[in-house]
Amino acid sequence: MFGVLNTKKNMILIAPMDGEVISLQDVPDTVFSQMMLGDGIAIKPSKGLVVSPCNGNVVQISHTNHAIGIETDEGAEVLIHIGIDTVELKGQGFERILEVGDRVNVGDALIKVDLDYIIAAGKSTITAIIVTNMEKVHKISKVTGICKRGESEIMKVEIKY
Amino acid sequence: MERMAFIIQNETGLHARPAAVLMRLAKKFQSQIQLEKNGRSCNAKSIMGILSMGVGKEDELVITADGTDEIQAIEAIKELFDKGIS
Repeated sequence: MFGVLNTKKNMILIAPMDGEVISLQDVPDTVFSQMMLGDGIAIKPSKGLVVSPCNGNVVQISHTNHAIGIETDEGAEVLIHIGIDTVELKGQGFERILEVGDRVNVGDALIKVDLDYIIAAGKSTITAIIVTNMEKVHKISKVTGICKRGESEIMKVEIKY
Repeated sequence: MERMAFIIQNETGLHARPAAVLMRLAKKFQSQIQLEKNGRSCNAKSIMGILSMGVGKEDELVITADGTDEIQAIEAIKELFDKGIS
């Protein structure tokens, strides 16, 4: 080839919630465990505030406020899907703090979640953090274990130029 | 170019699970496939694109396919919607 080009860049994602990071394969829903939306990790949350895991722009928030998509400055698309089958709650238990189009930095509050309400409604609170444009990704390194919102590193994503 | 209009029947619209099913089907075809709702359109092969459309129950969705396998693509998507994508 004509010289060695640096064809990858790294992106670090920070925990959007307090809780415990688990493998996506352990999420009790095939949409996530079979990586149908992309690759990433999941968090069993202990507290209900969701903050941005990255710097970027909010590109979508579901009208039921249970899912939010961010396009990061590095060109990755990150989806945070709060809970399993939580679309069925029709917005109850979720409150959006931001709007589509807003600029976000790591740690900015996105969605307030009433974990107790979700659990009482019979839904799991397990939250998936997924990179959806995997064709742009070379590799994702993941962690497991306890994580602190806005502080703990959860994934390192190598993005192709 | 082939196009077809659908009225979304399922209660929760095109949320994560049906969006993933639709995307995976769209990716099987070489054609460019677009979803359009109220003048806004997105690439059916992009999950973030589909989710950002916020397609709900009773929304009308127009699907267009453009490419060598456009007819097969529209037929396959029609079959998916007829069976109830959920």
